[in-house]
Amino acid sequence: MQSRLLKTEVTLTESGFLFDHTTGLTYSLNSTGQFVFRRMQEEKDAEDTLRGILSEFAIDEDTARKDLDDYFRQLKELGLID
Amino acid sequence: MGINVAVTGLHATDNPAPGIGVIRCLHHPRKWNGEIIGLAYDVYDTGVYDRDLLDHTYLVPYPNQGSEQIFQRLMYVHEQVRIDVLIPTLDSELLLYQKLEPRLKAAGISAYLPPEDVVKKRAKTRLVEFCHIHGIPTPATIIINDPSNLDKALADIGYPLFVKGMFYEAYRCQTRDEALKSFEKLRLQWGLPVLIQQSITGEEFDVCALGDRDGELLGAVPIRKLRLTDKGKAWAAITLRNPRLDELTKKTLKALSWSGPCELEIMQDSRSKELLLIEINPRFPSWIFLGTGASQNLPKAVVNLALGKRVKPLPPAKSGVTFVRHATDLVCPLEYIENLTVQGELHYPHL
Repeated sequence: MQSRLLKTEVTLTESGFLFDHTTGLTYSLNSTGQFVFRRMQEEKDAEDTLRGILSEFAIDEDTARKDLDDYFRQLKELGLID
Repeated sequence: MGINVAVTGLHATDNPAPGIGVIRCLHHPRKWNGEIIGLAYDVYDTGVYDRDLLDHTYLVPYPNQGSEQIFQRLMYVHEQVRIDVLIPTLDSELLLYQKLEPRLKAAGISAYLPPEDVVKKRAKTRLVEFCHIHGIPTPATIIINDPSNLDKALADIGYPLFVKGMFYEAYRCQTRDEALKSFEKLRLQWGLPVLIQQSITGEEFDVCALGDRDGELLGAVPIRKLRLTDKGKAWAAITLRNPRLDELTKKTLKALSWSGPCELEIMQDSRSKELLLIEINPRFPSWIFLGTGASQNLPKAVVNLALGKRVKPLPPAKSGVTFVRHATDLVCPLEYIENLTVQGELHYPHL
């Protein structure tokens, strides 16, 4: 799984409200989305993020890997990651 | 002794003039130390009835009545209440006040305006030429002076496209029929030339910027519009921190040697992500009060510049600050209307 880097300057609040400073767009992230996003802000690689998900959430590895790929794809479409 | 500031453009409807926003900036964070004089064109210019913002209002002749009429009226106002600084906020006034500036200065009224040749360089009909010279991306645009060239221009630009008036208004057209109707409407209303412009799909940004006499950027508030009226005017917006917008703003002001306030309209192409300069308005935008929340009080800086004071570049605007416009009703007694109608002036402290 490819590592992902944030492409833009963002603020993620405690409540999961995400603001992209360069475009003015805002998003609301659920707890899993926030978990992954904070890992990216800490520059953790994708495999490390996947291991974190498996230890924090009740989910099997195949499903988590697929969901994480899907999440990265959405973030890329939104211009938030490379 | 406080500084008295006269401001034009007080009609704040769903297409608001910038004057009220400018005055609110002057009163921020505390009431302006001096008097605020509203210069209105009509008894029902809405902002003149906001007694929390204005000390005096005077009706003035419309710009098309000529500079001498305006000058004589301003001299009358100046004798009554003393104007130290004048901030015109409407596009249609700018050339007139540029012509009057030396006479006003001699009478003790200061302004901070870009020179006439600089303002002309950013005119809608000359923007493409300016952008090409300075390597600033802008949408493909064809200027139509002769209606017989219209069909070729429509074919060359391709649909959808914008048909734009020389001064105001623009229509997005999907077909030749729509384009022909829009062209005719704009030709009759504003005359020729009419512009045919490529329609860019993507994000729309605005920047209010202030330049000094050398075109150096003194302050800038970049925003994304969040809600629009049916005329495309901002009804809600949020401030940004975007290095690419900053770079384009600096480059544009420097290339123009722009002095004074302006509003840049910019589109980011959704596919190429390129930033394209759409328009430069030679004045504050109506949403300028948002700047005070982002630590950029540009109208106060303009007053200082007009008075010949040195203004240092302001720190970057704070991002994530939002405004939402809120329509309200001002209630006033008959004598307000009477005073403006009969005497052409209204003085709140004396009522």
